[in-house]
Amino acid sequence: MHHAYIDKFAYQDSAIHRLDSRVKFLVVLVFTAVVISLPRSSLSILACYAIGPFAVLVWAGIPLKFVFKQILLVSPFVIVLALSCPLYDRTPVAVSFGPFSWQSSLGWLRCFVILGKFIVTMLALIGLVSTTRFSDLLAGLQRLGLPRLLIIQLGFLYRYIFVLIDRAHHILRARAGRKLRNLGFKTELRTAASMLGSLFIRSIDTAEHISIAMQARGFDGSWRTLSKLKVRRCDLFFVLTAAVFMSGLYFFIKPILQ
Amino acid sequence: MSKAIEIENFTYGYPDGTAALSDISLSVEHGQKLALIGPNGAGKSTLLLVMAGFAKGTGKVLVDGLEVNSRNLKKIRTILGCCLEDPDDQLFMPTLFDDVAFGPLNMGLEPEQVKTRVAEALATVGLAQMADKAPHHLSAGQKRAAAIATILAMSPRIITLDEPDGSLDPRNRDNLLNLLRSLPQTLIIATCNMNFAAALADRAVLLDKGRIIADGKAKKIMSDAELMTEHGLEVAQRKM
Repeated sequence: MHHAYIDKFAYQDSAIHRLDSRVKFLVVLVFTAVVISLPRSSLSILACYAIGPFAVLVWAGIPLKFVFKQILLVSPFVIVLALSCPLYDRTPVAVSFGPFSWQSSLGWLRCFVILGKFIVTMLALIGLVSTTRFSDLLAGLQRLGLPRLLIIQLGFLYRYIFVLIDRAHHILRARAGRKLRNLGFKTELRTAASMLGSLFIRSIDTAEHISIAMQARGFDGSWRTLSKLKVRRCDLFFVLTAAVFMSGLYFFIKPILQ
Repeated sequence: MSKAIEIENFTYGYPDGTAALSDISLSVEHGQKLALIGPNGAGKSTLLLVMAGFAKGTGKVLVDGLEVNSRNLKKIRTILGCCLEDPDDQLFMPTLFDDVAFGPLNMGLEPEQVKTRVAEALATVGLAQMADKAPHHLSAGQKRAAAIATILAMSPRIITLDEPDGSLDPRNRDNLLNLLRSLPQTLIIATCNMNFAAALADRAVLLDKGRIIADGKAKKIMSDAELMTEHGLEVAQRKM
């Protein structure tokens, strides 16, 4: 079965793809912190910040349709949160955009800022995940000092989530093949519980087999990998460009737009 | 010279009391290609786990002259490589390179040696260009070959394979067969596929209900129609 892997474009080749995963991760981390720290009063500066990740995505050849689909996929929670703002904060506020100005409420302003920040940070995050193989990202995080146990768990999660989804699909298909009428809520609930139980037991089986496979290859509790990461001149150039872009907007453009 | 595998009067039962293996005695010479045949639930997979030290029972099990016990396990696992039935269980790392390097790194080899071993193992199974691929991006045949590469990288003298031909199409099965034939190691293969076993093994051991029923030349055992039918198997027909 084929899944829409979150890093399905990470196997392409471009200058962005070839950058060191640690560099990309740190730049995205700082970028996210800067965007989140922006005041709620300026939407225009947010639009300027969006140029950075947008340029990276275009340069790396990531289809924008895929990017916006991913954003939509994770947006419901943030949309609910943002749309609740106008309900509890109706303080009137004057809004201006270029030559236009109109009256709105602080709640609506907050709503758009939350959505704007969400979209801009998601663009950066998708830019990172779509141009970095998950294995490289894990290796990078390990080199940056993240706890080894967390890295192992993330690695297993990424490796086996698709196997688990496949199994769940098989079980659902088997149920659909034999479910010829509406069974009623109670029976459906009982069936769902049995299916979950079966999935759980199979997951335990898989875990036992993986444990055997690891021990058979000499695993003694210490996780050993060969890291191929290397910071090169182009990585430093990327960091410099990102720093100039972020600080330029923050210190020079933001005061003008406010 | 010690034998590859020596098992004497070995008995093993599951925790619920079901007897999985009863009074098994078996010896395998180095370089032999042995097929463990038998119907489902005969105890083939359990016997492979016993050889690798994953199931403890009563009796004696020696691997290359070393008794299978907790003291010798580390050494035994560099001598005997065990390949599980489902390649998805065998391939647990984010990339194929990392998966094949996992064993050699645990053996304490230097990074350069590890890289050489990985490259050689992947070249042997025909996946030299796939090192950076994630295991879930491989086909069933490639996953099976990759699982074998994870074992070959450790250069074991003995390899056990559990149903290696399972869910493979004829072309991939033939490729696997050619690969296994080319390996100089002692091979112990558990399978229900008589054609596959007959094409590969020089010796066959028939297991049923946890007991050894027959032990001898592969072709002779697998062409005995009465014996095969009695134990829920079929006579090997296709020449592979």
